[in-house]
Amino acid sequence: MFRKGFALLLALCLVLSATYALAEQPTKKITILSIWAEDNDNGILLTKLTDQFIAEVNPNFSYEYELVSADNLRQKVATMAASNDLPDVFVYESGTPLIPFIEDGYVLDITQALTDLGVLDKLDAGAVAILSNLTSTEHIYDLPLGLNVEGFWYNKALFAQAGIEAAPTTYAEMQTACEKLMAAGIQPFSVGGADKWPATRLINAYVMRKLGVDALAKCAAGEMSYVNDGIIEGAQLLQDMCNLGYFGEGPTTVDYNTAANMLMSGQSAMLYNGSWFTQSLASADNPAGDDGIGFFNIPVVEGGVGTLTEYSMNCGNILCLSAAKYDDATAAWLKYMVSNIGNYAIQNSGTLKGYTITEYPETLSNYTIMVADEFSKVTAASTWFEATMDSEMTATAQQNVQSLMNGDMTAQEYAQALQDVYDAAN
Amino acid sequence: MSRVLRDRRAILLFIVPGFILYTVLVILPVLWSAYYTFFGGMIGSSKWSFIGLDNYARLFQDKKFAAALMVNVRYIAMTTFGQVIFGLLLALMFKFWVKRFGSSVRTIVFFPVVLPVVAVGQLFTKIYEIQPYYGLLNSLLQGVGLGNLVYPWIGKADTALIALAAMDIWTAMGFYSIILYGALLDIPGDILEAAEIDGCNAWQLFRRILLPLLRPILLTCFVFSFTGTVKMFESALALTRGGPGTATTSLSMYMYNTAFSFQKTGYASVIALFIFLLCVFGARLIRAFDRKD
Repeated sequence: MFRKGFALLLALCLVLSATYALAEQPTKKITILSIWAEDNDNGILLTKLTDQFIAEVNPNFSYEYELVSADNLRQKVATMAASNDLPDVFVYESGTPLIPFIEDGYVLDITQALTDLGVLDKLDAGAVAILSNLTSTEHIYDLPLGLNVEGFWYNKALFAQAGIEAAPTTYAEMQTACEKLMAAGIQPFSVGGADKWPATRLINAYVMRKLGVDALAKCAAGEMSYVNDGIIEGAQLLQDMCNLGYFGEGPTTVDYNTAANMLMSGQSAMLYNGSWFTQSLASADNPAGDDGIGFFNIPVVEGGVGTLTEYSMNCGNILCLSAAKYDDATAAWLKYMVSNIGNYAIQNSGTLKGYTITEYPETLSNYTIMVADEFSKVTAASTWFEATMDSEMTATAQQNVQSLMNGDMTAQEYAQALQDVYDAAN
Repeated sequence: MSRVLRDRRAILLFIVPGFILYTVLVILPVLWSAYYTFFGGMIGSSKWSFIGLDNYARLFQDKKFAAALMVNVRYIAMTTFGQVIFGLLLALMFKFWVKRFGSSVRTIVFFPVVLPVVAVGQLFTKIYEIQPYYGLLNSLLQGVGLGNLVYPWIGKADTALIALAAMDIWTAMGFYSIILYGALLDIPGDILEAAEIDGCNAWQLFRRILLPLLRPILLTCFVFSFTGTVKMFESALALTRGGPGTATTSLSMYMYNTAFSFQKTGYASVIALFIFLLCVFGARLIRAFDRKD
């Protein structure tokens, strides 16, 4: 009787102390500025994990989820920074766009914060290396929301239909594959030319194979001109592919989503994309099924220095925290998020986010396994075309790529326009 | 009434609230913007500094600014005339041709005016579509045996601005048709009857009677349309995002990008000031046609 009573009293004390501990948590309402809707992509990750944090750690914590289109993200954040009112947490672009915010002390030193919280080891070392390289800083000031390799995805059924037996490993083989596909009445590529960045990625792919993974970093550092063989030949190749009809009619009118759907639905045979694509591929809505799409790394260029174990990699859009609004309550949220993102993402969407994973799901989609296999081959990495460019140069690269594809600009003019913007700014 | 209007206090009471509002909402921001033109960098950043007249000097050497200005001029010419002239044709149709279901027809014609610009942009993106499927326009061309005219209308620099202007004409012509229809209804019927009795044909009736009587309203429509089109921003963003290349990038879009993407508030303020002066000059130019009479 006494034991029962004691056990009951102990349980009551535990419940009361837990309730008291939760009630003692600081009250805080944060704003999360995002480019993903709450039911989409990383929007799910951010909202679900924050909900979990509120339920498990701090019931006095709340958040407002604000949405902005990806096209307007830079403008919105820049305006908020100018009025000294950055959101507590905001999605942003890694690399060059972030540097002014770091210099002005607007964004939180993530390395320092995570070290203080004792969870720095929850970040994937590869992701940390990419982020710190992009900003040329020892510490990182942003959290990864992806860890991606980029390359060519192809529709296996269409390759078989055109009699292509193996994925191309050189640009010459890719050219032969395109000819076979055209002969079979199949559109070789789809590209989201309306969104511009998918087209500049194709130039970047050629440049990193021709001149190496650090070519654009050298250009940004002034060690090499943008008017170089890699960019001119890559731009010329893109224009030639357009003229040959490899991208179909009017590729500058096709958006990224349409281009991706075309590959999955068998309307095009190849698409350049990142491994974030696995989320769409693993979906039950993918008409190609769970094994219908294959991946091959950027082919090598004859006479180029790039190899097949070098990949174009990135951390996707990143997450920053306002330095001015960071306090104990936000620190607790940050610790929880960093500790749980990796496991949550692999279990719920089969994607890698740049965090350590301790609990793998029992079954992984073929596409996730395929991407994990590619990660195991990486010996060196390059970033995307505009990673080292400032906003004005990025706009020039992306606007002009449409003119290049339409034949309104030559490859030489394309490269020269980049160099002109660089010269004006330096 | 005249006693009230001679009372200075009454006049002050009528004018001062509006003047204060106008000063706070229009004059002060314009002056503020003019002040920013002497600075470089982005407000709030460490690079924000006084640079004198450098931004003005840059304006005259900036090829992108010149290109955006040309886009604006071509767009204004096409869209302003298109909106008002098609509006006038529709108004004449309402007055002289549509006898039954008049109000229903006018409602249908006016309907695009109330549609959100983004929705109209999406609608026309589908109409002009070429890949993966032909949109309405290219399907029609192919359907009537003009397959050789199938074209990426918004994907090529030579047609993108025309395609954009066509969309904006379709959107706004209903608005001008209703204004001009109202003006047509105000023309006394006995003038039209007298013209008919005197043997006026349709063209003479339009040229000699209707056009002179509609002139003040037509000029007002031109001013409305001009000030609406000189802003050229959201429809271009919704349909072409300023592309392909910079074929549909207007001054407003260039100003916006300069201010918020390139983080050059001062230089963007110079462009904004130029747009303001362009607006004032354009409106005065159209009004000059009114003064002749």
